[in-house]
Amino acid sequence: MVLENSPVDDQQEPVQKGPDTCLLGMTSRRGPRSLPPIPSASRTGFAEFSMRERMREKLQAARSKAESALLQEIPTPRPRRLRSPTEKESETEFGTELDREVQRTQQDHDSQGHSRVKFHDSVRKIKSKPPVPPGFPSAEEAYNFFTFNFDPEPEESEEKPKAKNRHGANREEKEGEEEEPPVQEGDEEEWLDGKDVEDLLLGLDHTAEDFVAVRPADYQSVHVRLQKEKELLFVPSRRTVPTYKKLPENVQPRYLEDEGLYIGARPEVPRTNQNIMENRLLTQEPGRRWFGDDGRILALPNPIKPVPSRPPMLTQEQDIKAELETLYKKAVKYIHRSQHLIGSGDAPGNFQLDIDISGLIFTHHPCFSREHVLAAKLAQLYDQYLARRQRNKAKFLTDKLHALRSAVQMGLNPAKTPKTLETTPKTINEYKSEIRQTRKLRDAEQEKDRTLLKTIIKVWKEMKSLREFQRFTNTPLKLVLRKEKVDQKADEEAYEAEIQAEINELLEEHTEEYEQRMEVYRVTLQQWKAWKKAQRAKKKKKKQEAEEHPADEEREEPGPGEEPEKPAPPEPVDRAVIEQQVRERAAQSRRRPGEPTLVPELSLAGSVTPNDQCPRVEVMRREDIKRRSLFLKVTFNNKEVSRTESRPLGADFRVHFGQIFNLQIFNWPESLTLQVYETVGHSGTTLLAEVFLPIPETTVVSGRAPIEEVEFSSNQHVTLDHEGVGSGVPFSFEADGGNQLILMTSGKVSNSVAWAIGENGIPLIPPLSQQNIGFRSALKRADAISSIGTSGLTDMKKLAKWAAESKLDPNDPSNGPLMQLISVATSGESYIPDFFRLEQLQQEFNFVSDEELNRSKRFRLLLLRSQEVPEFRHYKQIPLYDREIMEKVFQDYEKRLRDRNVIETKDYIDTHRATVAKYLQQVRESVINRFLIAKHHFLLSDLVVEEEVPNISILGLSLFKLAEQKRPLRPRRKGRKKVTAQNLSDGDIKLLVNIIRAYDIPVRKPTASKFHQTSRSSRTFTEKHAASPTTHSPAHSADYPLGQVLVRPFVDVSFQRTICHTTTAEGPNPSWNEELELPFRAPNGDYSTGSLQSVKDDVFINIFDEVLYDVLEDDRERGSGIHTRIERHWLGCVKIPFSTIYFQARFDSQEDEKLLQATEKFRAECALKFPNRQCLTTVVDVSGKTVFVTRYLKPLNPPQELLDAYPNNPQATAELVARYVSLIPFLPDTVSFAGVCDLWSTSDQFLDLLAGDEEEHAVLLCNYFLSMGKKAWLVTGNAIPEGPTAYVLTREQSHYLIWNPCSGHFYGQFDTFCPLKSVSCLIGPDNIWFNIQQYDSPLRINFDVTKPKLWKSFFSRSLPYPGLSSVQPEELIYQRTDKVAAAELQDRIEKILKEKIMDWRPRHLTRWNRYCTSMLRHFLPLLERNQEDVEDNHRAELLKQLGDYRFSGFPLHMPYSEVKPLIEAVYSTGVHNIDAPNVEFALAVYVHPYPRNVLSVWIYVASLIRNR
Amino acid sequence: MAEVHVIGQIMGATGFSESSLFCKWGVHTGPESFVISLVDRLVAEIPWEVGILQLSEKDKPGINSVSSALPLICSVTLGKRCSLSEPQFPSSIRKSWAAWKLLSGVREGQTQVDTPQIGDMAYWSHPIDLHFATKGLQGWPRLHLQVWSQDSFGRCQLAGYGFCHVPSSPGTHQLDCPTWRPLGSWREQLARAFVGGGPQLLHGDAIYSGADRYRLHTTSGGTVHLELSLLLRHFDRYGVEC
Repeated sequence: MVLENSPVDDQQEPVQKGPDTCLLGMTSRRGPRSLPPIPSASRTGFAEFSMRERMREKLQAARSKAESALLQEIPTPRPRRLRSPTEKESETEFGTELDREVQRTQQDHDSQGHSRVKFHDSVRKIKSKPPVPPGFPSAEEAYNFFTFNFDPEPEESEEKPKAKNRHGANREEKEGEEEEPPVQEGDEEEWLDGKDVEDLLLGLDHTAEDFVAVRPADYQSVHVRLQKEKELLFVPSRRTVPTYKKLPENVQPRYLEDEGLYIGARPEVPRTNQNIMENRLLTQEPGRRWFGDDGRILALPNPIKPVPSRPPMLTQEQDIKAELETLYKKAVKYIHRSQHLIGSGDAPGNFQLDIDISGLIFTHHPCFSREHVLAAKLAQLYDQYLARRQRNKAKFLTDKLHALRSAVQMGLNPAKTPKTLETTPKTINEYKSEIRQTRKLRDAEQEKDRTLLKTIIKVWKEMKSLREFQRFTNTPLKLVLRKEKVDQKADEEAYEAEIQAEINELLEEHTEEYEQRMEVYRVTLQQWKAWKKAQRAKKKKKKQEAEEHPADEEREEPGPGEEPEKPAPPEPVDRAVIEQQVRERAAQSRRRPGEPTLVPELSLAGSVTPNDQCPRVEVMRREDIKRRSLFLKVTFNNKEVSRTESRPLGADFRVHFGQIFNLQIFNWPESLTLQVYETVGHSGTTLLAEVFLPIPETTVVSGRAPIEEVEFSSNQHVTLDHEGVGSGVPFSFEADGGNQLILMTSGKVSNSVAWAIGENGIPLIPPLSQQNIGFRSALKRADAISSIGTSGLTDMKKLAKWAAESKLDPNDPSNGPLMQLISVATSGESYIPDFFRLEQLQQEFNFVSDEELNRSKRFRLLLLRSQEVPEFRHYKQIPLYDREIMEKVFQDYEKRLRDRNVIETKDYIDTHRATVAKYLQQVRESVINRFLIAKHHFLLSDLVVEEEVPNISILGLSLFKLAEQKRPLRPRRKGRKKVTAQNLSDGDIKLLVNIIRAYDIPVRKPTASKFHQTSRSSRTFTEKHAASPTTHSPAHSADYPLGQVLVRPFVDVSFQRTICHTTTAEGPNPSWNEELELPFRAPNGDYSTGSLQSVKDDVFINIFDEVLYDVLEDDRERGSGIHTRIERHWLGCVKIPFSTIYFQARFDSQEDEKLLQATEKFRAECALKFPNRQCLTTVVDVSGKTVFVTRYLKPLNPPQELLDAYPNNPQATAELVARYVSLIPFLPDTVSFAGVCDLWSTSDQFLDLLAGDEEEHAVLLCNYFLSMGKKAWLVTGNAIPEGPTAYVLTREQSHYLIWNPCSGHFYGQFDTFCPLKSVSCLIGPDNIWFNIQQYDSPLRINFDVTKPKLWKSFFSRSLPYPGLSSVQPEELIYQRTDKVAAAELQDRIEKILKEKIMDWRPRHLTRWNRYCTSMLRHFLPLLERNQEDVEDNHRAELLKQLGDYRFSGFPLHMPYSEVKPLIEAVYSTGVHNIDAPNVEFALAVYVHPYPRNVLSVWIYVASLIRNR
Repeated sequence: MAEVHVIGQIMGATGFSESSLFCKWGVHTGPESFVISLVDRLVAEIPWEVGILQLSEKDKPGINSVSSALPLICSVTLGKRCSLSEPQFPSSIRKSWAAWKLLSGVREGQTQVDTPQIGDMAYWSHPIDLHFATKGLQGWPRLHLQVWSQDSFGRCQLAGYGFCHVPSSPGTHQLDCPTWRPLGSWREQLARAFVGGGPQLLHGDAIYSGADRYRLHTTSGGTVHLELSLLLRHFDRYGVEC
């Protein structure tokens, strides 16, 4: 069997497997593969099985021995060969193996029926049963049946066959296939030959040897192996592959490089390698896609740089980018300024503009003599000439003409032209038209040159004749005409040639034209002829027709107008005519042939006639010039920033300055002007002209800016009495005065303006838009264009031309972008993107448009709130959705924005005040904005509240205090606990008003007597001044009987419309001693500092007289009931603005260094000694800058009108002036600049604004007093009710007077009624004195400032007064106030007030007593004139005339600012509250105008009740 | 119309060799600063009739994406396409520029100086409260920081620059922002070690702009810890999921 089988297998296998097996070089064969591997689940069980296995094997061996004969018989009928063909076919296919197995099982079935049951299910587990006779299960079988059969895994038997296989050349086993399914086993078992069995049997004894076999080393001869390898391996040849193999059939190799196309350098590869590769590619992949057109392998250009490179050495210094530059900064102390991230420490606004003013040249000046005028003209012409010569346009055009002509020539003679220049008739035509154009231009230029030269010569001649005429020379100008000889003949030839050429061209042109016209003519003639023919034919026809229908003739006749005229042939060109024209023109505009060229040369070589040889007028002129000097003021954004030195005017009218100004600027320049000032002798300076300099481009930096000449002219008219021709006045060169000239002063300033460059080379240019918030890029400043080198604008056409000329290889990738750019730029219709996107797709990805974003109400509201716009500053919660926000939220704000520039007169009545109010509003806004920013800068003390750690001295003091005697009758004021603002709510704050007592309350006049009129005293109570000191006379109540109740006053305090009142006291000097409590509500419930300070409400303290009237009608009831009516009559009021109650002093500083330091020191010293006394040294002016306070004091003239009123009474004049000042309305700063600071305006600003607080009043009054020759000081201190305030102190002959600038009243030093309660500082025009006396009440101090022990002066010997310039104007200018306007205002106020009173009495009828009103109207002007003296008499008269009425009324007096305060004042009198049924009212208004629109308003309100 | 609300705090810093630290911070939105500066320059300098601006090597940091060696065709279209010849060009740029609008809050600030007594973390707990409205996603807010240290003499010196993006998903985020500072030459390093101070960037923009920093020698500083909570609104309305 073995013999039989093995050759068959051997035979089969090579056929089946092919070279595979050869390649492997293995001798083992592959047996037929049978079943797919069965999952060897029971592998793990192998070890335990091995023992059993052996037992079984032994048994099996014994049994098989006995039955070997039988056993050998069994396999034979099983035809192995039968199977092999099918096996062969299915060998490679895995899937078929099952079938094969099935086959095999079928065979098994056939042969061994007994094993049918067990072989069922494709898994054969039986291995050792074959020898068992059918029907009898052997012991093993039985054993297996129970113990083993159900184990599907036949694995354990695998070992055995393997071992067996190794012995013999078992064809069934394939090496390496250990997993080979054991299924075969059954079969193998059957096929085992005798030898195998023997081996098996032997193996029973020495098992180990069963597994080991000694075999000779496998060897195959080298040749065989090589042979086999040859079959397997492929070695490509190294020989060059012929090109034809690499290219498709019948294709010639194509070398792109030879064709001029760009091919990059190929990477270098050894030839042999390439050959190998090519050979291989050819064999392996028959396609030729690896080969290029030239038959070589395709390759990318060599990507390797030709030169090796290494990373550059990076040194810190060189070549670091601007934005990456680092700077070693020393560790420095923290600077407040740089506390925000921006700018990383460099101070903002450090920008510098350099203005170099080199000089000034007058092109006309009043002191010009006639000769100067001519000289200037000559110089100008000469400049023009020079400029023209430099450009030399005529020459350029002539050259061009020549070039064009030669080009045309070439084009016409194609024989001569090289091939490259393809000239078509079209280009020639173009040339020709260009020639025409150029010729025209050239002619014009030449003509201009010639006329210019002529004019120069003419002017020079005029000048010469003038010099001769006047017999002296003023100017060193000298014109030399240099003749340049020319070659007569050559010149003539050239001239002639030129003319000929021109003639030819013209001729040609004309001929062409002629031909064209001829053409047209021919065509039209043709048409005409045709028409004619037709006409004739028609006529003929018509004739015939006419014969037939004679009536139709008329109808057919065409209109005579339609008949085309016979065209006239154009005139032929006449050469002679053209020549004539050309010659004429040439003669006109061109130099004649042979004529020498004239070159003018202007020099200053001439001599000026000395003074002694000149006539007197000329000498005078020269003297006049000497007296004149000039300087320039540099103004930046309309502010003078510097000025040049004053330089004398030279005889040549040139001024040399040569100064460079470095302007340190903060803002982007808006305007930069130079003002030219001229000083004549010692008299004043006059502004000649303003020269507006352009703001330099950001690219212009110092050192690179060219000197530019900026022309200016002035419109001043000057007539002089000497040779000077003056300005703006006509003069003439001719004796008869004809041909007049008017020249204006004019000149040129040579200057250069440039941005300075900082230390690190960065131009100091402010950022472009300063409103642009966010991070100021330093980069931006760094590299305007200066840093990007040049702003070179590349001309695309030129670029393309250059590319074409330099024969750039368009395929070279390094030129790729350039080529692309050029192709885009030059291809005519293609679209050049004239934009470039920095943020790609920004727009595409935008959610919404800007408009929509801006429309969002929510965002707007949020923004406005965060910007702290007044209307929205304290807005609490903002709705989440737009729809929840009402449109009207913005209405006020928008209205305000709209009205910002619209002056509304409705509320103000008087336009001036309306303007002022607007202005004030604007100032206020800007100041508030400025300080809002400053407010966010907190000091440590603002943030950290720290109780002071008690030191030894304080401890010691308090220890002493323990030992102090108790003094219960001397109570000490205890400081209230401070409450923080944020946890306050409505009702937490209360306003406490202590009403203690009153002095000198006016009393009622006796009422009972009929002789004395029934009334009560009516007195003038100016606001804030309940008790006038002048009326303080103790004897006034002497007339009245003792014990009679003269007045029953009570005090009524109102604040925010809440009213509290005291009990009623009796008598003129009542004492209440009551504390009134008023609730306080902050606006919007916001208790922050800023908000509290903007509370505008006033606390009104009114005094009323309570009058009881018996209203009992019937005397009979007197016993049983009392019917009285209580009437309250207003006596007076004190108005205390809330802002003075709540006042938080806060100063911000910034000024001059030394002075500032001194002030700081002074203040600190003062504060150390007297912390309660405010030391005023610097104040903030309207523009928000700190100014030393003495600069505000300077003698200023009061209105002349006031001085003239009492020429002989200085005291009365002073009072009048004080009154005038007091009439300027009072407006506390704290209200207008809520939460910000105290601003001081200068006196002229104050008068312009017509509003100010105590300081402004005091300053103005003090300045008036100073100008009136008084010794006056500004007093700062505390007063009632103003709080910290400023008064004026004057020194009369022997005593001091204290003036209240707001009321106009004055007090003696020892007047106890003086509202000024403490004095801390005296300020004079040149010094400040701080009160270092023990007391500060004016009663107890000495005002003698010369005593250093009492007054500490700011400027002393150690720090002398540096002579600070005043901020006040030179003088004040007063306009008379329009009386008519005042009268009009008066009527309007009266009307408004009357309407108001009627409004306030909605339930009652308001009757106006006309008679009384008219009487009051007469009465008021008298009051204004004589104040109080006149009062009594007039009242008496008034009452007499009124007769039967019970009259109660009082005049109100106040300065006029707006209508509202007037209404408030009338309201607070409570006149309208009288509701007696028969009451009548009278109201009169009087407005007295003072200069500068200061108005004094008097209002007389009265109620009348008819007595029965 | 979408809204981004950034509320959070700068918690503190760790890992710095210096002890008393404070932090200056800022939030930058919109295009990178070099773009702004470029636009500003364009607005200022381009003669409007000619649209080509030569940019030099120095501008490269921003422009190398465009093709730096070449003359740039420059008209900047931001939002709206407008040709250079339009006279209102500058203003229209300005208008369309602001994709991000700060509704409320301050963009920048500075913390107090913290000297840790226990541990090495400096705590600032500095509030950040910013509210933006935006019309696009580009230019998402970026946060940049400068940590400074104060020595015993009260002198300040730079301890590190840091940069991080504000997170783009809503919710609370813990951010750690590592910092760096320029090293400077050996001389400067020596000086820094002994007398304090140190090299600083001249232009702070480099902290957050995309400039090539490869020439810069830096050393690492510590880490700044931030806690930012983000509220986004209406992004879904425009198809942005978050």
